[in-house]
Amino acid sequence: MANREERAAAVRHAFPPGSGVEEVGGVDLQTFRVDRKVLPAFARHLKDDPALDCRLLSDLCGVDYPDREQRFDVVYHLYSIDRGHRIRVKVPVREDDAVVPSLVSVWKAADWFEREAFDMFGIRFSGHPNLKRILCHPAFHGHPLRKDYDPGQRWLLREGEQLAPSWADEVQEDEDHFETQVLNLGPSHPATHGTLRAVVRLDGEVITQAEVEIGYLHRCFEKMAEQHTWNQVIPYTDRLNYCSAMMNGVGYALAVERLVGVTAPPRAQVIRLILSELSRIMDHIVDIGANLNDLGAMTPFLYMYEAREEIYSVLEACCGSRLTMSYVRIGGLSFDVPDDFESSVRYLLKRIPRLLDDMERLITDNRIFRERTEGVGAMSAADALDWGWTGPCLRASGVAYDIRKAEPYLGYETYDFKVPVSHAGDTYARYLVRVEEMRQSLEIVAQALGRMVPGPVIVDDHRVALPPKEEVYTEMESLIWHFKLVMEGMKVPRGEVYGYTEAANGELGFYIVSDGSGSPYRIKVRPPCFAIFQAFEHMLPGHMVSDAVAILGSMNVIAGELDR
Amino acid sequence: MRPQDVIVCDAKPLGAIQRLYLVEIVKGLAVTLRHFLGNLFGRKYTVTIEWPEVKREYSERLRGRHILLTREDGSPRCVACYMCETACPAECIHIEAEDTPDSATVEFEKRPKVFTIDLLRCVYCGFCVDACPKEAIVMSRVHEMAFASREEAVVGLDQLLQKGPTAKLDLGYRPYYGAPRSRIQLPIPVTAPAEPVGAR
Amino acid sequence: MGDDAVKPSPPPTAGAGEGPGAARRRPDGSQIFLTTRFEQMLNAARKNSLWPFPMGTACCGIEFMSFMMSHYDISRFGAEVVRFSPRQSDLLIVAGTITDKMAPVMVRIYEQMAEPRYVISMGVCACTGGFYRAYHVVQGIDEFIPVDVYVPGCPPTPEALLQGVVKLQEMIERGETQYQRAIAARKAAQAAVGG
Repeated sequence: MANREERAAAVRHAFPPGSGVEEVGGVDLQTFRVDRKVLPAFARHLKDDPALDCRLLSDLCGVDYPDREQRFDVVYHLYSIDRGHRIRVKVPVREDDAVVPSLVSVWKAADWFEREAFDMFGIRFSGHPNLKRILCHPAFHGHPLRKDYDPGQRWLLREGEQLAPSWADEVQEDEDHFETQVLNLGPSHPATHGTLRAVVRLDGEVITQAEVEIGYLHRCFEKMAEQHTWNQVIPYTDRLNYCSAMMNGVGYALAVERLVGVTAPPRAQVIRLILSELSRIMDHIVDIGANLNDLGAMTPFLYMYEAREEIYSVLEACCGSRLTMSYVRIGGLSFDVPDDFESSVRYLLKRIPRLLDDMERLITDNRIFRERTEGVGAMSAADALDWGWTGPCLRASGVAYDIRKAEPYLGYETYDFKVPVSHAGDTYARYLVRVEEMRQSLEIVAQALGRMVPGPVIVDDHRVALPPKEEVYTEMESLIWHFKLVMEGMKVPRGEVYGYTEAANGELGFYIVSDGSGSPYRIKVRPPCFAIFQAFEHMLPGHMVSDAVAILGSMNVIAGELDR
Repeated sequence: MRPQDVIVCDAKPLGAIQRLYLVEIVKGLAVTLRHFLGNLFGRKYTVTIEWPEVKREYSERLRGRHILLTREDGSPRCVACYMCETACPAECIHIEAEDTPDSATVEFEKRPKVFTIDLLRCVYCGFCVDACPKEAIVMSRVHEMAFASREEAVVGLDQLLQKGPTAKLDLGYRPYYGAPRSRIQLPIPVTAPAEPVGAR
Repeated sequence: MGDDAVKPSPPPTAGAGEGPGAARRRPDGSQIFLTTRFEQMLNAARKNSLWPFPMGTACCGIEFMSFMMSHYDISRFGAEVVRFSPRQSDLLIVAGTITDKMAPVMVRIYEQMAEPRYVISMGVCACTGGFYRAYHVVQGIDEFIPVDVYVPGCPPTPEALLQGVVKLQEMIERGETQYQRAIAARKAAQAAVGG
């Protein structure tokens, strides 16, 4: 496993100084600033060279620096699963000539990320097969994440202006001279979890062509984050993956805490871990339950929902809201847990396995379920990595990559748990992996309950955390800190960071750029299901319509995270 | 990752009895019949809370509708410092300040002339309560407030000020909690709680 | 706080006359829009068999699922038959943020529903846009479709949504929903022209 200097030396060897590749120092990850002419060759080298071996493209985004001559930065985050290192690549471009070569031929994962960068900033990617807007609607004018775009400027979409794929109008006949039919799956459909749309061409029941449209829940999280202070972004993060709201907040808080340079106290870390694992269980319940519901098995969803309601009771007692908790703060948590927290979680640890067993008795060896899901939506390991898959979907294809084991945070290295992996890569394998992950999460929570040491739940640093109320009421200095934190927001030092955690769906990344003020300069959320869902339209041809519904359910697409 | 960190869950091939499926039907029916008969004779698996005859008791810290607390003389504790308005991510609080005429002490110089909260913009995050330096705004446990029009939902000082003594209010999210009135109840009770729990 | 008594409407004008459009009053002064026992029975039947169309886009969709599941169980209100086709439903529950991309879809679904149809706007995102004062979010679905009940909360607890459904049932019984008001206005206009 090469370290940073060795990797830099390997890059310098292939791209000597002056060829357009230079290393940038002083940042959290190894960063290279690359000239766009050299970019395709550099990317190919990063992927193929055995010392670098960056086979996973985690994230691709744009950043707007209007004061610079080269206004836009296209930022790539790459990861090597075998070597375990991360590399960031930045490609600056000018506004009047914002063209960057597309990397779709190197990593298929670049597909939708580049479309998003085009939609949000107007950066064109030459060689991209389908460079259209992806999140904003087709009648949208302007590029919203540019700094000169007014956040409230809306554009109306009329009925006839919605996206209609050009191939949908062609009349095609199959080999028996029957016309094929073009059908819309969604955006309002009982089996689209959230609002998604797939336009498919059907030859009987078999899908021959598909195109996916997303963006029906684009709520402009990234622009809203730029208008609010660092702590005010936390309610927005809750609504990203709303099935497991706590994990988004924890991921965001960990990234900002790295930038600020504080660490949450040990008690806060344990509580964050327990609630994250309970949220993971909740998310898997919704995913498996909704998937089963679409296939016609409604009973297990009803049984498993009792587990969700009971976890909700615990969460409501901790912070006041069942679903969108806003419990995390930068530096820890807002309040300590109530004193009956531990006994309630122990009750859950006894209750959830019984419900899981009931569900497994009905489903796992059920011949109907297996015939509907085995072999459906199979994805090989190499393909899955190329598409940027992470999380249970990747582990079901055979790649054992879990950030909790590879780059632990919140103390995961001290817990004894296993990561489930399957090799078939089909819908049934994803179901098995998720069920086993739920059981492993219960193991982790059981161990974590023994480690809840008494202590504070937020850092004592008053540049970061609000002072305790009794000090605010009595001491002048605390009142002033309180006032400054609320009015101006917490000041985060200038810099950038890419924070990543293992959310329920995969690698949830927050690429945060700060300019030293009380508001974020740029937050890019790397949603795990964005990368997973972009493979959907390529998986569909050859399957039947009902299989499409089964595959969609197993991918766990949460629109709040997908569209942000 | 080390091999001992990984647990492999591959699909186990179906046996002959499972392929025949008749036995599996019986096993599945056994699970659902157990729930059915358990409910029929003794309500063992019933979890339905029959609202509105039975109401689940909300947790101690529920973030519901806001209440502006008053001092002993009945004036609002709020000094119109605008911290809740700034802390609110939804910008749903609107305050206009005015001088307190002839106030007893110089400490309470300002008071709110207008204090409105648009309850249909509010996301019930509790940041206003966290931001208030005077413990003037807290949240109650009232969460059931459907409106027939948008104008009805913009509530002003008269509807937000506390009505009645503080000890009788059904308070939820606030800076200090005394002895908890409600505990986490698992399994969630399906019958009405023994003593009434404040105004609804 | 939400269950306050119905405010009485102004008395009808002198030219309304007798007949189906005339308004009568209850003892407490509130106006009855319905006149016939048949209509009262019809409304009782309609309010107890609301078939929801859940347009669950975001987080409120998850709380809507909670509301359908065993713990709160809308089948106790006759609304268990959740239909995902607008032709087969009469209560559109918009649960979640509606974006400008989704707005034409929502309008199309609303127009495809047969009358009588009612709309509950669940969650602050559907009511006013919530805290998303943004370039792609509709600031309240009443920009496009008429709404009967606004349920606040982000997301509303299932009890809050149940109270919203009960409030809608009371409005149906009293004849105050948008659809019933439109019918009454049409009848009053016909009566004014005819009588």
